[in-house]
Amino acid sequence: MISLKNLPYKNLKGYAGRTAALLLFSMLMALATFGGTMVISGIRAGLNKVESRFGADIMVTPEDAKNDFDAQNVLLKAEPGYFYMEKGKMDEIAKVDGIEKMSAQLFMASAKAGCCSAKVQMIAYDPATDFTIQPWIADTYTDGPMGLMDVVVGSNVTVYDNHIIRFYDNDCRIIGQFAPTGSTLDNCVYMNYDTVKVLIKASFKKGLNQYSEYDPDDVISAVMIKVRPGADIEKVAGDITKQVDGVSVATSKNMVAGIGDSLKKISGSVSFFTVTFWLIGTLMTILIFAMMINERKREFASLWAMGASRKIISDLVIREAVVVNLAGGILGIVLSALILFMFKDLIGQVLGVGFLIPGPVTIILLAGAALLSVLLAAAISAWIGVRRISRMDASLVLKEGQ
Amino acid sequence: MILRADEVRKDFPRAGKSSNYFTAVYPLDFVLESGQFTVITGKSGSGKSTLLNMLAGMLTPSGGKVFLDDKDIYSLDEKTLARLRNEKIGLIPQGHTALLSLTVLENVLLPYILYNKAQPPEKKAKDLLDQVGIASLMEARPNELSGGELRRMAIARAMLMEPSILLADEPTAGLDSENTIAVLSLLRQAADEGAAVLVVTHENEADHFTDHVLTMDGGRLKG
Ligand SMILES: Nc1ncnc2c1ncn2[C@@H]1O[C@H](COP(=O)(O)OP(=O)(O)O)[C@@H](O)[C@H]1O
Ligand SMILES: [Mg+2]
Repeated sequence: MISLKNLPYKNLKGYAGRTAALLLFSMLMALATFGGTMVISGIRAGLNKVESRFGADIMVTPEDAKNDFDAQNVLLKAEPGYFYMEKGKMDEIAKVDGIEKMSAQLFMASAKAGCCSAKVQMIAYDPATDFTIQPWIADTYTDGPMGLMDVVVGSNVTVYDNHIIRFYDNDCRIIGQFAPTGSTLDNCVYMNYDTVKVLIKASFKKGLNQYSEYDPDDVISAVMIKVRPGADIEKVAGDITKQVDGVSVATSKNMVAGIGDSLKKISGSVSFFTVTFWLIGTLMTILIFAMMINERKREFASLWAMGASRKIISDLVIREAVVVNLAGGILGIVLSALILFMFKDLIGQVLGVGFLIPGPVTIILLAGAALLSVLLAAAISAWIGVRRISRMDASLVLKEGQ
Repeated sequence: MILRADEVRKDFPRAGKSSNYFTAVYPLDFVLESGQFTVITGKSGSGKSTLLNMLAGMLTPSGGKVFLDDKDIYSLDEKTLARLRNEKIGLIPQGHTALLSLTVLENVLLPYILYNKAQPPEKKAKDLLDQVGIASLMEARPNELSGGELRRMAIARAMLMEPSILLADEPTAGLDSENTIAVLSLLRQAADEGAAVLVVTHENEADHFTDHVLTMDGGRLKG
């Protein structure tokens, strides 16, 4: 039965067309604000993860690799690749002042051909000196130390029930899997040197490796470097460039700066769309609401005539605005969340950067903020509606027309 | 219960000319007593609705006072006056006054739910709808009703709270003679049951239902 409590719902139902339009626009508004802020913080989360996972101050790669291999790209969007330099470069680099730790890595890309379970980047590290990968492996794997033909895989690598991944007719045992970073690190397979040497030899045998003139015992792909506390990373990097021939040097700062730039650009355009959508949504909500109030002037005047105080009428208008915007807002957030979760990989690909769904606390905060932004529109609409009604001369409205 | 107007006057600013006022109701005295059925007739524009709205607590007079049982109603704050209107004054405004989202029955129950959380008096509302002859339209929406039916709905709604004052602005305008008689009999009956009833009209059809007929002309009331 009718009550003052359910009157707003009855009114909204009675003006179904207007209500549907209000729902639609508040939904779009929430969709844009929640989706937009989620994407921005998702990119930020992804990049932070990459940055901390990267773990080295400087990465040295062979110079000729620069054309088809860019250190930034390997982190963010590169196709798996492989390139080598002589192991002797390690000793030359070691002579440069200011280095605290250094560790070599050997890269290899599995072919797309029938030889392998998947096309992935394989990264071998030296357990004795490594400081960039093992801290993460420690988090994930439980099956004792990594032995020959054992691998830990990134989150995008499919792990089958038998925990076996096959490369060049060799079975590798998967002993752990990393949490997602939203970058190509998620496509990597990590192993020790002995394992990668077996795989490289197997790839030579199959003629699937362009570097067959190299002896896998004598080559490395990259050297990860941590500088001594207090040392200037840029200076150390500069010294390496000067003193060691045939290498390309990237600092984490370079990479982060590059990352920061692309983040800024993307955040900028996402923010622009978010704000634009919000403004359009707010304007439309206010407009439609004002039209609805205007259409119902006579109803409000009648309520006043039968003894409703201005406060009762204002509360009614405010509750109508809040109910419809809140419902639209929640719908928009749920829809937005569904889209984000379903298409998170696609979003990362389209944006060309790492994208990670933010943690639950961030999600709740952003959803709350999106709801608030929609409620702000409700508040403005209601305020305008209430002002209109309180300024109207009810006795005059009741005399106008029929 | 007595509704009394003392020297009430209403001025409206003349459109366009900010300093110029136009008097719709000249200072007049008026008394409405329980059990009496009073009719004010007068040409359109003579100030009848303005007077009625001032009596209803809907329009603040430019001068003079309106008393309900010796209480100056325009000295009350807006909230108290609204509550008073809800409990003591049944107003039947000119024209359509239905909430379009509600059924006819819900419209009639509206005055009750404004200040009461209890179950609304559905049976009473149905009885009233029966008395005004539209019980069968209880579940209909207002836009399915004719003008006469809407007017009758407004009368049922105005009587729901058993007000001691009933004020009706042109309640029979646009009704056929059968409906006119039905509506006026209902108001007459309310007066016989103790309400103070005032009907404002520009026609003479109410004459033989009334105790007093007053005429309004150019903002002045004549006995
Ligand atoms: N709110 C108002 N503002 C300006 N003029 C008004 C207003 N209400 C009524 N009037 C004028 O006051 C006069 C009396 O109006 P009204 O009381 O509605 O007459 P009636 O009900 O007898 O037809 C008319 O000339 C009308 O134009
Ligand atoms: Mg009138």
